Amino acid sequence: MSVRRGPRPTGDRLRRLLVMLPWLMERGEVPVAEMCDRFELTEPELVKDLELAAMCGLPPFVDEMVDVFIDEGVVFAGVPRLFTRPLRLTAPEGFALLAASRVAMQLPGADPDGALARALHKLAVVLGDDSVVVETPPPPMTELVAAAATEGARLRITYWSPAGDHRSERDITPRRVFVDGGYWYVIADDLLRNDERTFRIDRIEACERTGDIDALRDVEVPAIDSWFADDELPVARLRVPTSGRWVAERYPTRSVEPDGDGWLIEITVASERWLDDLLLRLGSEAELQHPPEWAGKGAAAAHAVLARYRAAELDQAGSDGS
Amino acid sequence: MADALERITNLVALLMATRQPLTQEQIVNELQGQYPAGEAAQRGAFERDKALLREIGVPLDSEVLAGGDAGRTAYRINRGRYELTDLQLTADERAALQLAVAAARLADAQFGLLKLGGDRGSSPVVVANIPELPALPALREATAAHAEVGFQYHGSPRRLQPYALLLRERFWYVIGHDVDRGEVRTYRVDRLESELVIGAPGAFERPAGFDPRTTFPTDPKLLGDEPTARAQVLVDTARADAVERELGASAVLERRPNGAVVVEVPCANLDAFRSWLFGMGEHAEVLAPADVRRAVVEWLQAMVVAR
Repeated sequence: MSVRRGPRPTGDRLRRLLVMLPWLMERGEVPVAEMCDRFELTEPELVKDLELAAMCGLPPFVDEMVDVFIDEGVVFAGVPRLFTRPLRLTAPEGFALLAASRVAMQLPGADPDGALARALHKLAVVLGDDSVVVETPPPPMTELVAAAATEGARLRITYWSPAGDHRSERDITPRRVFVDGGYWYVIADDLLRNDERTFRIDRIEACERTGDIDALRDVEVPAIDSWFADDELPVARLRVPTSGRWVAERYPTRSVEPDGDGWLIEITVASERWLDDLLLRLGSEAELQHPPEWAGKGAAAAHAVLARYRAAELDQAGSDGS
Repeated sequence: MADALERITNLVALLMATRQPLTQEQIVNELQGQYPAGEAAQRGAFERDKALLREIGVPLDSEVLAGGDAGRTAYRINRGRYELTDLQLTADERAALQLAVAAARLADAQFGLLKLGGDRGSSPVVVANIPELPALPALREATAAHAEVGFQYHGSPRRLQPYALLLRERFWYVIGHDVDRGEVRTYRVDRLESELVIGAPGAFERPAGFDPRTTFPTDPKLLGDEPTARAQVLVDTARADAVERELGASAVLERRPNGAVVVEVPCANLDAFRSWLFGMGEHAEVLAPADVRRAVVEWLQAMVVAR
C-alpha cells in the first residue's frame, strides 16, 4: 500500500508519467489540452507533473536529464534521453487486455480472423501464450438488437417475464447492449410505458423492426453487479448455512456478514415469487429473519410445491386401488 | 521537502542508468538530499519507494553482495525487462484493441492500451461487465509461463499446473492438472483461500489442443459422480416453452395435450438439479427416478417442519 500524500497518490502519478514521457518524446510537441484529455489529467495536474519531470535525471550529466518544457499551451520534448520507451505491461494490464479482447471476440459481429485477432497474436509476444477463455455466447437475438441500438431503430418485441409468468408485446428503442454474469441485456426506451427499461435478451421471444427510427441517445451502463440495486425494492435478511454462501455470489446483496457457522445476507427482492424460489433452493437450513411478515414464506412455498407431489401420489394410490 | 514523485522518478533513472547494482547507502548518496536524514526515516522512505515501484510493475532486480559489502542488498533495473517491446501494431489492430478495451471497461486494460499507443475510445453500443479478482493477473502469468501454482481450497493445500482460465457466467475458473490428485481439476478463482505461491516457469507442458470448454461441462447439473444420471421432470404449460428453449427439443420426452411437457434433465449434481427445479416453483415436478423424487419431497418436508 502506498502512502497517500495528497489528492493523487504518488504511485498513480508515476505510473502515468512513465507512459506520458515516451509518448511525448515520440511526438516532440503536443498541445497541453490534448495531453490532458489523453491521460485524463486536469491542466494544473499535467503541468505540475511535467515541470517536476523536467527536474529529474542524474545531474550533473545533462544528457541524463529529462528535457521537457511547456510554452504557450504546448508541451515540447527536447532530445529524448531517459524514459524513451513505456514501461512494460504489468500483470494486471496484460490480464485485462487479454480478457477484454477475448470478450470482444464473442460480441456480435466479431471477426475471428480480423484485426483484433491479429492484435491478440502480437500481444502474445509480450504476454506469453494466450490461455484466457471467455464463454459468454450471445443469444440469437443479440446481433439484431445491437444493430437496432446503433441505428436507433424501433423494435416490436414479445417479452417473457418470469415474475408474472406472462408474455407481453412492447415497442422498444434499444440504446445499449451489455453482458453481465453470463446474461445479455438491452437497455431500451419502452415506448408504451414511456420509460427506460432493461430487458434480458434471451427472454425476447420474437422481434421485428417497426420501421421507425428514433434519435440516438446515450445511456449509462451500470457497473458490474450493481444494476439491480434499486432503492425502492424491499430488502430481506436471510441467515444461511455455510453452504448457502452462493446466494451472495450469485445475486447482488446489500450486505454479507459472517454469523457463527453461516452468513447473514441482506438481499434486494425483485419479486416475491423470486424470493419463494430462492427459499426453496436454500431449504430448511436457511432462515428468513426480516421483514417479520415474511417469516413463514419458505414453509408456505414448500407447502405449495409439496401439495402437487401429494396430489400426484393420491392419484397414483387411487389408480392402484381401482 | 521534495515531492516524493521527483525522488522516485530520479530513483528509476538512477537504477536504469547504473551498470553495477547499488546499495541503499549508495543510492541515498547519489540522490543527494532527497531522502530524509536519519537511519530509520531513510530506511522507511526507501522501503516505501521500492514497494511503490513493485506495485506499478517496475522490475526491480536485487542481489545480495559478497566480498567487502557481504550481506548488503544491491538494486538495479534491467532496461530490457523494463521497456515494453514494440508490438508494431497496425492502425486497424490498434483500433480493434481500442474497441475491445472500451467495451470491457477495465481500468487496467485502458492503461495498458495507453502504453501500446492506443487512445481512449468512445463508448460503444455493446459493452461487457467482466468480474475482476486480485489473483487473476498472477494466475494468468503462471499459466502462460507454465509455472506450477499453490493455494488453499476448501481448507486443504492444492498444487496445480494451470492450463487455462475460463470465464463462464459470472465466475472465473482455473483449470489444470492437480499434481497431488493426478487429474485435471477445475477451481473457482474467487474461492481460493490463500495467496498464490508461484513456482518456476517451464515446469510442465500443457497437453496439445487443450480446451477448457470440453473438460469442464457447461451444465453444473452434470458435475457429479454419475454424469449420466437423468431425471424426468414434468413442466407445466406456463414454463414449457422456456424450458424447451433452454434444454432443446431433444430433451422433451412427452408432450401432453394441455401443453405441459416431460423433459429429461441431468441430475448427477443434486444441488444444481434442485436449484434448477425450484427456479420453476410449483410449475415443475420430478417424476423419476424414485430416489430423486423422494429426495426432493424430503427437502420440502424439512422446510415445512422447520417452522
